[in-house]
Amino acid sequence: MKKNFFDLMQSLDRRWIYLMVALAIVMPLIIPFNSKTYVTEPTENVYKKIDSFSGRKDRAILMCFSHDASTMAELFPMEVAILRHCFEKKVQVLTICFMPQAKPLMDYAINTAKEDYNVQSGVDYLSFGYKPWSLFLPILLGMGDDIGKAVETDDQGRKVENLPIMKEISNYNEMNLVIDFAASAAVYSWIIYARARFGANVAAGITAVMAADNYPYLQSGQLVGMLSGLKGAAEYEKLVDVFATHRDEYGNPDPREFSKEVIKSTWIKLSDIENRKYKTARIGMNAQTVAHVMIIIFIILGNIGYFVSRKKKKAS
Amino acid sequence: MKRQIPLIIVIGLGFLFAAHTFIPHKISNDFYEWWQTWSKAISPFAVMLGVMSLFMVHTTKISRRVPNWQYSAITLIALVFTSFSGFMWGTQEGTPFMWLFKNVQMPMGATMFSLLAFHIASAAYKAFRARSAEATVLLIAATIVMLGQVPLGAQISKWIPEASKWILNVPNLAAKRAIALGVGLGMTATSLKILLGIERTYLGGGD
Repeated sequence: MKKNFFDLMQSLDRRWIYLMVALAIVMPLIIPFNSKTYVTEPTENVYKKIDSFSGRKDRAILMCFSHDASTMAELFPMEVAILRHCFEKKVQVLTICFMPQAKPLMDYAINTAKEDYNVQSGVDYLSFGYKPWSLFLPILLGMGDDIGKAVETDDQGRKVENLPIMKEISNYNEMNLVIDFAASAAVYSWIIYARARFGANVAAGITAVMAADNYPYLQSGQLVGMLSGLKGAAEYEKLVDVFATHRDEYGNPDPREFSKEVIKSTWIKLSDIENRKYKTARIGMNAQTVAHVMIIIFIILGNIGYFVSRKKKKAS
Repeated sequence: MKRQIPLIIVIGLGFLFAAHTFIPHKISNDFYEWWQTWSKAISPFAVMLGVMSLFMVHTTKISRRVPNWQYSAITLIALVFTSFSGFMWGTQEGTPFMWLFKNVQMPMGATMFSLLAFHIASAAYKAFRARSAEATVLLIAATIVMLGQVPLGAQISKWIPEASKWILNVPNLAAKRAIALGVGLGMTATSLKILLGIERTYLGGGD
């Protein structure tokens, strides 16, 4: 029996699908195009919270790196974007990780973001380094009383309590935003202990597949905000470009107050951003757009083929 | 005794820590701080135990020449070499450790995770069929959420991101919350069973 187009499509070798997906992902990365990034509320909330600490010595944020290199494509751009925001707006940043695989990522993110800023470890930012997982709970709870006692030393072996950045930071009352970057449910521990027991604000930077799990916590307010996958990273990159690193007509730094109207009316061309590291997520979103469209086309074609074959079977 | 002593430790400390949460007294806080020092001292032994166990498992596989024993050899060589480079030259930017991380671990990790995209695309094409009403609802919801997650969705219609948001905020949230409540109740029940000594499987053994 002669096979028609739909029959052929039904029996298509999966290697052709793999080839098409590879092309759909690689081409937009090689030839970036401009697409409008729409900013969602959970991302806005993280931005606004961090921005409210700008210039304050009695406030800091804690970034907890709870992932390895496999999910770097989604999480690394958001980490760099947040660090850039903090360095630009003089927000004190503390970092920590409880996975050995996350320590090099943490260093890499800090080094990537600080290249363009005159910031100093122990003064503007501080890495507590890697702490064994078995100390996760004692440190998490201990930081509610005294960060210096709980963490003791930073990644260079210096006594944390003696460093200038910690002068006015003692516990969650000052380090009042914890952002956990994970491809897992690691953020729940911060919600259960740091949020419930000490009232710390908790946010999540999470891979897209895990995002759906966190909506109940967003609605209940246990999470102040969330960056969801590459889209969240792209949104944050845009917010930093529109507000934190905004320049006046003479090219001087002129950070703007957060405004939804400004976000809506601002169009940023990717080619105008010289440094590729500050637009990684937005370039990645191009690839994600094409890949999503391709998957939808595959679903539609697959279903058309399925119904045509079923009709043919019934008719015969 | 081998089972009774661990059981007494678990029950005793379990109730003490539960009580500490509700009693902010000095004695309670002092005990809590004392425990924190203990747990810090114990944790390096856990890491040591893990490394020893890894060595034992893989050296046994190599010595017995079990199928694919070569992978065990690679694991051990990688473990020794990475640890050595970290101990010798540190882990900062510009060191061999960081070079290994950027040029070996990062691309390998990314490769493993990115394979998902190919499997999802293939599975979507081969298996995602509107065979029943439930499957059709799932298919439509998935399409809307996928479009809502990319800029193109909003360019097609402003309702696509809104519909995507509604799906995530209402039906998804309801299902997730129901699961979370179930898990929470289950955890509470299991914790109580452990504290009361009813649940003892964590001690090992058959009885």
